[in-house]
Amino acid sequence: MTLKIKLVLIIVLMLNISLAAQNDYTVKGSVVSKSDNLPIPGAAVIVKESNNGTSTDFDGNFELQVKKGDILQVSYLGYISQLITINSQTKITISLVVDTNELDEVVVIGYGTQKKANLTGSISKVTNKTLDQIPVARVDDALIGQVAGVNIQMTNPAAGEAPSIRIRGQGSISFESNPLIVVDGIAVGNDADYLSSIDMNDVESLEVLKDASSSSIYGSRGANGIIMITTKRGREGPVKFSYNTYLGVKSVPDSEQLTTVKDWTEFVLANNGGVMTDRLTYINLLGGDNTNWEEVMMDGGIIQSHNLSIRGGTRNTKFNASLGYLDDEGVLLTDNFEKINLRLRVDSKIRENVKMGVSINTSLTEQRKFPLRSQDAIRQSPWTPLYLTEENIQFVNRFRENGRWADAQVGDYAVERMFDDYDLDAGMPVPSGGTDISTTSSTSALAKVLERDYRRYQTKVYANTYLQYNFNDDLYFKQTVAGDYRFTKNTRWLGIQATRNGAGDSKSTRSSSVDYHTILESTLNLNKNIKDHKIVGLLGFAYEYWQREGTSLTGIGYDSDIIQTIPASNLSGGYTYETEEKLASYFARVNYDYNNRYLVSLSVRADGSSKFGPNNKFGFFPAASVGWRISNEKFLADSKVISELKLRTSYGITGSNSGIGRYDYLGLIEPVGTAIDGVGTGYNPINIANDDLKWEKLVEFNPGIDASFFGGVFGLSVDYYIRTSKDLLLYLPVPGVTGFESALVNKGEVKNEGFELELNSRNITRDNFTWTTTGLLSRNKNTLVDFAGSDGLISSVDPKRPSEWIALEGQPLSTFYGYVTSDQEIDLEYLRNPFYPINANAQDTYVKDLNGDGIIDTDDRTVLGDPYPDFVWSLTNNLKYKNLDLSFMFQGSHGAEVRNIDQQYINNQFTSNMDYISTFPDKDLVVQKIFTDRIIMDASYVALRNVNFGYQFNRELIEKLNMRKLRIYVAAQNLLYIKGNGYVGFNPEGINEGFRNPLTYGYQRGASPIYSTISFGLNVEF
Amino acid sequence: MKNYIYISLILTTCLFLSSCGEDELELAPQSEIAETNFYNNDREVEGAVLAIYDGLQELALREFALTEMRSDNTKSRSNEGDWAQFDQLNVAPTNYAVGLYWSVNYNVIFRANTVLAHLDVVQNETAKDQFEGEAKFTRALANFNLVQAYGDVPLIDQVVGITDADYFDRDDKNLVLALIVSDLKEAKELLPTKTGTEFGRATSAAAAALLAKVYLTQKNYSEAKVLLNELIVDSNYSLEDDYSDIFYSEGNDEILFAIPYYDDDSEESQDFSFEMSLGGGTGLNFLTSDFVNSADPTDTERAEVLFNPLDTYTIAKFLTSSSNARLCGNDWIVLRMADVYLMHAEAIMNGNNFTEDVRAIESYNIIRARVSLSTLPEDGTAQLTKEVLLYERRMELAFENHRFYDLIRFDLADEILGDYLTSTGYTYNPNGLLLPIPQSEINVSDGLLTQNPGY
Repeated sequence: MTLKIKLVLIIVLMLNISLAAQNDYTVKGSVVSKSDNLPIPGAAVIVKESNNGTSTDFDGNFELQVKKGDILQVSYLGYISQLITINSQTKITISLVVDTNELDEVVVIGYGTQKKANLTGSISKVTNKTLDQIPVARVDDALIGQVAGVNIQMTNPAAGEAPSIRIRGQGSISFESNPLIVVDGIAVGNDADYLSSIDMNDVESLEVLKDASSSSIYGSRGANGIIMITTKRGREGPVKFSYNTYLGVKSVPDSEQLTTVKDWTEFVLANNGGVMTDRLTYINLLGGDNTNWEEVMMDGGIIQSHNLSIRGGTRNTKFNASLGYLDDEGVLLTDNFEKINLRLRVDSKIRENVKMGVSINTSLTEQRKFPLRSQDAIRQSPWTPLYLTEENIQFVNRFRENGRWADAQVGDYAVERMFDDYDLDAGMPVPSGGTDISTTSSTSALAKVLERDYRRYQTKVYANTYLQYNFNDDLYFKQTVAGDYRFTKNTRWLGIQATRNGAGDSKSTRSSSVDYHTILESTLNLNKNIKDHKIVGLLGFAYEYWQREGTSLTGIGYDSDIIQTIPASNLSGGYTYETEEKLASYFARVNYDYNNRYLVSLSVRADGSSKFGPNNKFGFFPAASVGWRISNEKFLADSKVISELKLRTSYGITGSNSGIGRYDYLGLIEPVGTAIDGVGTGYNPINIANDDLKWEKLVEFNPGIDASFFGGVFGLSVDYYIRTSKDLLLYLPVPGVTGFESALVNKGEVKNEGFELELNSRNITRDNFTWTTTGLLSRNKNTLVDFAGSDGLISSVDPKRPSEWIALEGQPLSTFYGYVTSDQEIDLEYLRNPFYPINANAQDTYVKDLNGDGIIDTDDRTVLGDPYPDFVWSLTNNLKYKNLDLSFMFQGSHGAEVRNIDQQYINNQFTSNMDYISTFPDKDLVVQKIFTDRIIMDASYVALRNVNFGYQFNRELIEKLNMRKLRIYVAAQNLLYIKGNGYVGFNPEGINEGFRNPLTYGYQRGASPIYSTISFGLNVEF
Repeated sequence: MKNYIYISLILTTCLFLSSCGEDELELAPQSEIAETNFYNNDREVEGAVLAIYDGLQELALREFALTEMRSDNTKSRSNEGDWAQFDQLNVAPTNYAVGLYWSVNYNVIFRANTVLAHLDVVQNETAKDQFEGEAKFTRALANFNLVQAYGDVPLIDQVVGITDADYFDRDDKNLVLALIVSDLKEAKELLPTKTGTEFGRATSAAAAALLAKVYLTQKNYSEAKVLLNELIVDSNYSLEDDYSDIFYSEGNDEILFAIPYYDDDSEESQDFSFEMSLGGGTGLNFLTSDFVNSADPTDTERAEVLFNPLDTYTIAKFLTSSSNARLCGNDWIVLRMADVYLMHAEAIMNGNNFTEDVRAIESYNIIRARVSLSTLPEDGTAQLTKEVLLYERRMELAFENHRFYDLIRFDLADEILGDYLTSTGYTYNPNGLLLPIPQSEINVSDGLLTQNPGY
């Protein structure tokens, strides 16, 4: 309602805007860019200390009423502003110089902006220059390698799937440490979903708030760092249309992990005294290598993006509207992600001292997921055909399993078990006693994928309006009302051919949820200069309310695939739920700067949340930081070498409450059912109340240096930090005799310590040739300091293959645990069926007797590594020669390890830990490979992450087409991807199971593969 | 618009926002109930009673791993991971199912103690007796499960909090057994008969039958015999004529206590039928050849229910008729009359290697005769040996989670499991008869919980 009224109000007010000016004479002028002499349309030309002003037209020309003595200020974003004194010129040409001084850059800091040069905290800014040309579907995917200290990993890169983002390491023991996402000043949450719904074309810049002093202005939600997204605003000037598009082809490089029938036949002949096994004879008869499962399942894809935007405005009212469409096919067989964005942003000065604005962002996304783990999909026998054909149907056994395949027809999915019991001598299938070839009772992998349909639909509307009232030049009040609506629907269809159990497993689930989030935010802002003292003050209140309601329904017992919704006759269960949450906040900040030399920033926030108990409803988050710009001191002011030198240090406390439920401090009782006829509902306690529950607390100390040399040719920024996460929200295991397994408490401590280095260099700056280089390097060391009495806790992800992790104080939070293998392998002669499945090898392996007591037992286990990289780096080069431009980024990660169980599935078809024969003498010296370092692999990589090579057409050439700008480019992602030594698999970054529990981070089981993309793009402005 | 309009707008929002005090931040849950607002009347305490039965539903899901797969009856199909440890009678303290069994049993005890703690608000005296009896019966059942599985365990006779460390250490199993006996004695008196309550809720007869089994475990044969004599003449209960009907005609008169489930219900269905009947993905409770070969070829009526015709090595006792293979509705039978008859014979045998008592032979024969198998003469000339009685229990009660504890109660575990494990290539270790205390529980007990020997 409020929103509607405000919108109407804005439109009405916009119509009333009038400009009146009466002056002496008209001056005509033009504004051009000094470097290329091209006109600058939309540059602002105003007479200082008056209401008088205009902006340049398409050709950079303007006309303005002036009088002698007026001072014209000419400005345009990205250029240094110029002042011109009117003497009595009638025609003037103004050449603007590109602003290359990054230190004059303005950075978004949360409830305000600050000059980068005067920052005292650790904030990195990424401006969207070509980020929107990287052919990826999500904002976070494009951010890889852009910011030091932000580790973005393609943990499961299926279409639309979120990567993992860690800013300065993992701080929480119980929950993922996802950063808070703030869009145009409004904190939308730490759900990675938001980063899939934004169109990169709409993004102006991204700021990452890394240290606690910077993020503590967001108090209870800042502990995992903050990603601030600023979307494009309208600009003064004529209406500009732009159309940006690209089309890319994605493919997965061959992994050569699968053994072919041909190779295996050679291996068997070589190791079996030149004798073929019956099984292999039959396999070759059946056609040998019938299917390359890797090619079938990782079939590549096409990604395309289109964005049309309109941008323009008058001096008082500016607008920006855009429409975007993206379709990402994904490289797996069925995965797909589609997105439509629609957005409008209007900012208007409705009176000299009143500004208003509104922005509305809408997005629709649809994701179809690959329904299996990738290793499950490709670990198929290479001889298995995809479908029954005229050629292979003769091998189908129509007797077995009570005649299950008696009616098999050409075109049916081929299932391994269909081909068992073939009599090689008689040349036909027999009821029993023939040659078996199947290694699994599963149905066809192709059916498993195609007969399942898992989708996720989301609709998001995000609206924000504000009104700003200026009391005077120094003081203004800003009221914001924002709302965020999200509808999510997940559908899962398991068709009647999707599993070996057929219709008995058929199932349809539909769950949907609606989230509302309302924000009221009032701030009072002071911006006061008294001589050399500059004070920027902020005082604010915020009130936020969240509501979620959801429904989940399950349908079973389908006998066909025709209806996939849930008719009443198939409904087997369902429920609805509702939850609410409130947050009330009070915050203040003062940034003080004396003569651009001494900088101080103090801030505090108090957050009160409905999620916490009466004893700790409010949390208090103070921060302080100081800086000294030594280069502005007299003794350095004239230095030719040092142009900028700033020492800064910050200390702050911030919090996190993500992960826990909305009522977890209360002891809750939930209704439960029984299958006793004729009785009512049962009521059962589900958790232990904790009135003392409070926020996780992060304390961070962060000194740093920013410097630039030789007039900005070479720049450098160094940060060192120690982050201590305390009072962690922990599901502390409690004795089972209490009736519960865990209690939510605030205990434990984790430390992240590291440094970040940012280097940039303008190697060449000539009029028609520029070359710049940026290098980033960061290191983070994660340590579990205090585990609240659970030191040494061993966890595992999968009870069936229980590889172990250990949580040891003094070690990283997630630490692999197990045996160290020796070089010795179990000889083929001791294997039960060394030639039966293709690429059979032993499941067990010899391990070292670490404690030297002569026996292999659990005391021989040790720490085997951890999944956190030692170093992450990137190196970006931008080159521009005349109309050609080239940029490329190398990015790498070193020292991380991954526990990759895929090989266990793909190349080890044995399922028994007794896969050696009974006379094997060394039973007591071997253990399963999954418990050893054999499946722990180096996850390091070096990638040519992005390449962009473009050509900008000359203006004269395209003017005839009414275009202002035309650029074509070729871009590529992961053109080169070098995996670490010893890594065997599809994706060293892949971490896709057990990761929600930080204690078992680093498990790879069928993660989606790393792929490369080559794309062609076009940017047009007219 | 004049400035004062804006200023008043600003002042209003400031007033509104600054009024957001602590009270505004109290939100009551909408889809659950805060415990501070509950247990105020008869209906709410009955809600707590029904929650115990909800807890029992968890208990039966994987119990077979401890009681059948650890015996010579069944094994895991894949010989892999945690489940295979049961086949080898060599279960690691970190085993998932071992930790789960501990926590579901103590959770049932917690739910029962919750009822006992709030009994005083119940106004209706009949209801109060029933609720107390139900809580004590289920508490005894869970405690008996724990004592049989783990030996000495913490004795929990009231709701305990996370700081009540006095309760975290192990108590002599005889103390726990004493609580079980007194709970069951009281429950037997407090609980209604079968006709006085719904099927699935505890009855006086169920308490008596469980108490008899506890007495047999304690080798208190005389007390057991008294209870079993009463049950045999209880007109509410009788053997089903058809063996298959015990399992496929639910709620029949042979059943003393069962945990009911519904077909195709996401909340009230079980999946043990799926795991053990179809073989599932994981293939649990898969028959051993030892069991298959032990079956008497003339035992055709039971064979239909013991062996799945599609795959002899899977069980046909709990075949589901649900639409969804994993949402099965077969009830889990805890106590039935055939068990009572065979316990009766066992009680009369009085710990000896055989008995010639005709009453014992009658009880044995009635089970054999039902499925048209040969019987022993009832003229005092025949001997019923321990081995024969145990064999009958193995076949009659196969896959109903009796075998492992029967072997121990008959003092034949060492011999039979020793031979069985040797035949499958493993080594028997008598320490394996008690499960390890879950490692996770030892970790959180601050050193109060000790491990069983051999782990």
